[in-house]
Amino acid sequence: MDGFVAKKLDDYRTGRISRRRLIQTLTAAASAAAAGSATATTPDPALKIGLVNHVSYTCPDFRRAADWYSNLFNLDQVGASANDVALPFGKKGEHPYGVTADDVPMPYLVIRTPDPNAPVGDTESRRRSRALVNHIAYMIADFDKARVRSELKRMGHANPLADGDHSFHIVDVNGFDVQISGIAMTALSG
Amino acid sequence: MEDFIARLVDDLDSGKINRRQFCETLALAVAVSAAGEAAANAAPAQGFKLIGINHISYACPDYRKARDFYTSILGMENLARADNGRETRLMFGPEPGKGGSFLIPRNGATTTRAKAAIDHIGYTIPDWDETKLRAALTAGGLNPVEADGNLHVYDPFDYEVEIAGGAQDGAFRR
Repeated sequence: MDGFVAKKLDDYRTGRISRRRLIQTLTAAASAAAAGSATATTPDPALKIGLVNHVSYTCPDFRRAADWYSNLFNLDQVGASANDVALPFGKKGEHPYGVTADDVPMPYLVIRTPDPNAPVGDTESRRRSRALVNHIAYMIADFDKARVRSELKRMGHANPLADGDHSFHIVDVNGFDVQISGIAMTALSG
Repeated sequence: MEDFIARLVDDLDSGKINRRQFCETLALAVAVSAAGEAAANAAPAQGFKLIGINHISYACPDYRKARDFYTSILGMENLARADNGRETRLMFGPEPGKGGSFLIPRNGATTTRAKAAIDHIGYTIPDWDETKLRAALTAGGLNPVEADGNLHVYDPFDYEVEIAGGAQDGAFRR
């Protein structure tokens, strides 16, 4: 614990983390330690995830799904092939939200339909997962609960399900759960 | 517009067009200009402005194994106060509320009636160094496989995780 705290303090003093992040990190670590839990943040992980790079979405008809997401989030479709298409969250050259560095790619949704003619080896090489991503929450600008509800209804979603003050759930064209949230919905907020 | 009208007046004065033609042309020009301005000032045709992923909800048989993997291998930060024995929240990226995202590993059903699935998630890491990454992943007991310049591994529940690097690893590379 001492080494972990020292490392975080160094990070703070050298400007690598903010005062707020320092406090949050130390609070979380202290809480876990006090509870005798093994859930303290692991110090010095070899990798440090920065952002979601892409979400890979597989479905029976990728064009139909891509159009659905394009309409909902006003997304362009780029790099289409016979089996997939990408929908970046922004325009070429823009920075991802919350990021200023120039070498960070825009996140994107890639929507695919499995190629029925793909070699058997390709399908056998992927393991069968025992986990399930059961929904994704997408963050939109200028979230206003009444306006978002109204817009969703206008778009044909008769009963968007409110989840707190800052999000709604709907289902997409394939019955997949889609959450739409504002930036006020964070890991710390509920 | 001013130049256009000036030329139109010249044409009228020189007899190239008559008064009626002048009026019709000017009325048409005004209508086109007004429509263009309205279009330029309009909000996006429809839909919301998507700015990022807020969170990913991940169901599995034992969220603790997923929590430990994503924190120890991928550097996500466990929010201890959210760790309630059934689920937790793992933060990554910018600060919460400023573009940060989180993963929610939770105990739950891993079957669905949806006709679609999120078959993998790709994550961006800063300072891409494949040799260093491979060494780190291997040290964590994983077998990273390279595809399209990125590294793929499986988490404890055989869920595929892709690790991507810099600016070239985006939708526009495709």
